[in-house]
Amino acid sequence: MSAVLHLEGVFKHFGGIVVADDITLEIERGQILGLIGPNGAGKTSLFNIVTGVVPADAGDIRVNGVSIAGKGIHERARMGIARTWQNMRLFRTMTVLENMVVAPREYAGESMVRLCFRPGAVRRADEQACEQALAILERMQLERLADNAVTDLPYGQQKLVGLARALMNDGPCLLLDEPMAGVEGHAYETMKAVVRQEAQAGRAVCVVEHNISFIKDLCTSAVFMSAGRILERGQIADLLASKTLAELYFGT
Amino acid sequence: MEYVYSILILVGIYVVLASSFNLIIGTAGLVSIAHPIFFALGAYTSGLLAIHFGLNPIAGTLAGAAVAGVFSLMISLPSLRVSGDYLLITSIGFQLGLLQVIKNLELTGSQGGLSNIPTPIAGPERGWIFSLVALAAGAATVLLIRWIVRGPYGRAISAMRDDELAFVALGRDATRIKIVIFAVGSALAGIAGGIYAFYFQYLSPEQFEILASGTMLTMVVVGGMGSTWGPVVGAVLLLALPQAITFLRLPLSYMAPLQGMIFTLLVILFLFLRPQGLVAPEAPAPLRHKKQ
Amino acid sequence: MFDPAVLAQILWTGLATSSYMVLFTIAFSLVLKVMKLWNFAQAGMMAIAFYAMYAAVNRFAWPTAAAVVFGLAVTLAATLAFEIWGLRTLRARRSSSLLFFIFTLVCSEFAAYVLTLVFGTEPVTLFPEILSPVRVIGQIAVSDWDLLGVGVTLALGIALALYLRFSRDGQFVLAVSDNAELAELYGIDAKRVYLVAFSIATVFVCAGMYLYGSRTAVIPTAPLQLMLFAVIATLLGGMGSVLGGALAAVGLSLLQSYSVLFIPSQWQGLILYVFLFVTILFFPGGVRRGFKAA
Repeated sequence: MSAVLHLEGVFKHFGGIVVADDITLEIERGQILGLIGPNGAGKTSLFNIVTGVVPADAGDIRVNGVSIAGKGIHERARMGIARTWQNMRLFRTMTVLENMVVAPREYAGESMVRLCFRPGAVRRADEQACEQALAILERMQLERLADNAVTDLPYGQQKLVGLARALMNDGPCLLLDEPMAGVEGHAYETMKAVVRQEAQAGRAVCVVEHNISFIKDLCTSAVFMSAGRILERGQIADLLASKTLAELYFGT
Repeated sequence: MEYVYSILILVGIYVVLASSFNLIIGTAGLVSIAHPIFFALGAYTSGLLAIHFGLNPIAGTLAGAAVAGVFSLMISLPSLRVSGDYLLITSIGFQLGLLQVIKNLELTGSQGGLSNIPTPIAGPERGWIFSLVALAAGAATVLLIRWIVRGPYGRAISAMRDDELAFVALGRDATRIKIVIFAVGSALAGIAGGIYAFYFQYLSPEQFEILASGTMLTMVVVGGMGSTWGPVVGAVLLLALPQAITFLRLPLSYMAPLQGMIFTLLVILFLFLRPQGLVAPEAPAPLRHKKQ
Repeated sequence: MFDPAVLAQILWTGLATSSYMVLFTIAFSLVLKVMKLWNFAQAGMMAIAFYAMYAAVNRFAWPTAAAVVFGLAVTLAATLAFEIWGLRTLRARRSSSLLFFIFTLVCSEFAAYVLTLVFGTEPVTLFPEILSPVRVIGQIAVSDWDLLGVGVTLALGIALALYLRFSRDGQFVLAVSDNAELAELYGIDAKRVYLVAFSIATVFVCAGMYLYGSRTAVIPTAPLQLMLFAVIATLLGGMGSVLGGALAAVGLSLLQSYSVLFIPSQWQGLILYVFLFVTILFFPGGVRRGFKAA
């Protein structure tokens, strides 16, 4: 089984609302899965459940065959689940590079013990993280912005930085929550290219998006969610041709 | 001259207390009121070890710091597991509860306090030796905290304060960072306690009441939360003010509440007129990389 | 030791003494529920309420009713000033919960210091005489104070419940408690609701301090300890539930009263903190609403 991320029977409800209803899906290496559906379908909630921000009521979630049940948010990130946020959530008092340097799976500088007793190792880890960050920024042609405060950047570049920060996590799984929302032109093309590169390098990518052309361009297959349930899954072309889905999505 | 020495020693102690409290509430943003109790734990531990086992001041102070650090886990572990806000309630409860225990235990001298703490250092050198030690401790604390905050650990703390959820989702253990900072800050308060116990040789529970937190809050808020030198400014200010009030020649029963009133009023004024305090936090050390 | 008459007496007296604790808890709980604020300035409110009434009775020689009205007026003025000039500013600046905490706590401490300057640290009671007439019902001694305590608490509690459930204003208060932003969208003035909440809290605080101060001697720093009880009861009762807090206050009070049968009196104070720790360890409902005022 080459599934990197495997969800089985995931349930979650808030009060009376069912946010995830018997969700079963798989994402394989190199696959870019589109997660589409109307607002409130539970797409972001599903990301929150997988990353541990919200605990599932029932169901099994595995990364490369290993169950992540009971693991905390930071542990799941270290197991290789990287994500971006709908509202970016960049660290606003820090520069682009600083945002990224705290983002690798293992960060030596977060341990007081290591800081005090092995400062040399911590410094070297920092330098490596810097190099890794600059390499990622170079792929996006943003390396000259490394020392800029993130709040100084235009919206599109901030979103790219959000993606860059997530890419510091070299794990097998990448979850992108509406990466293209509000992004156009050069930033749009850059983001598409980078996501494609990541998939080609073997990552399992899942993208929540409303932007249909992005989905058509990039995703190999898709899953349509509505009211917490997966209604359809399969090839993009088929899903987009379906009239019932069009009704649900566009209300026409 | 002895009077000058005691002021210098108090400056050193206050700088340690203010800096460590600033680390906890200013830098890490943890909401806690229990700093006086760690000061007390350090003081009582080293005092009792000296009285019953004749432990020397250095070992005693370190033991006091260790006890304070370990006890801080009793607050931080249960409450931070839940959320950062629970820490406040737990710290209040711990502060008041432990103080009750101290007031009622015969071991700690009950209400009367613990007196006659022995120190091997006696005679005329006492004054300047302790002054040196206290001021050195103050300087060391400030520099230690500065080093922590300016490096990668400080960067992690900044990110954590900017957006804790995003920070954790990157793989960082925010809870552990908070627990460690709380323990380090509390242990430093314990060191201040040890120095206090060995110089003044008398401890009473009133000195560590929750109102003592008002003093520490004043030093941190007025000095400048999150800055390195703010606590130093705050500490010196807090020691200078009572000296200024002494000139008014009021009876003692008026002095203490008047002092308290001025301190709390200062905090309120600063909170509204100059929330960043007297010394603004300085920018962190920039990352050095090849593409500059 | 377990003579039923003794147990019954402890039960009654415990219930009666829980009266002021319930009042303080309701005040604290209500402000938390409506404004999402841990109002550590309540200790200051409590101190001001007591000393205003004390001054009216003992310094100005006013009759009790006038003293109570005076206490209400002074406390209300101080509380509203605190909200209008203090909290509103912090809210407008989107200050962190740390700043709210520091501000509310320091206000209480400031009040304690000012009152110490004016009234000194001698413990004083509201009236010169703290003993009230006692009658024996069944095998239980019931004092007038007991009856007043239970009566006032029930009356105010029921009045509040009716107000919240059946009056339009009360509905607004509940709406803002639930979701202040949404309520504003529907045209409900959250600022006014906050003033209402604080006014209600003032009434409960004054009633509580009247009861407490007519029975026990008070010093300016006493309210801080009393308030901590209210905080723990609020936590135990569930942060969104005023009734829960009230019931928890009764429970904790009774626990403290009955504990006299088991532990030496000097350690009675410790029970509260043990309970606090137990609450936090085993009831981690989480402080979902946080400290930020809405």
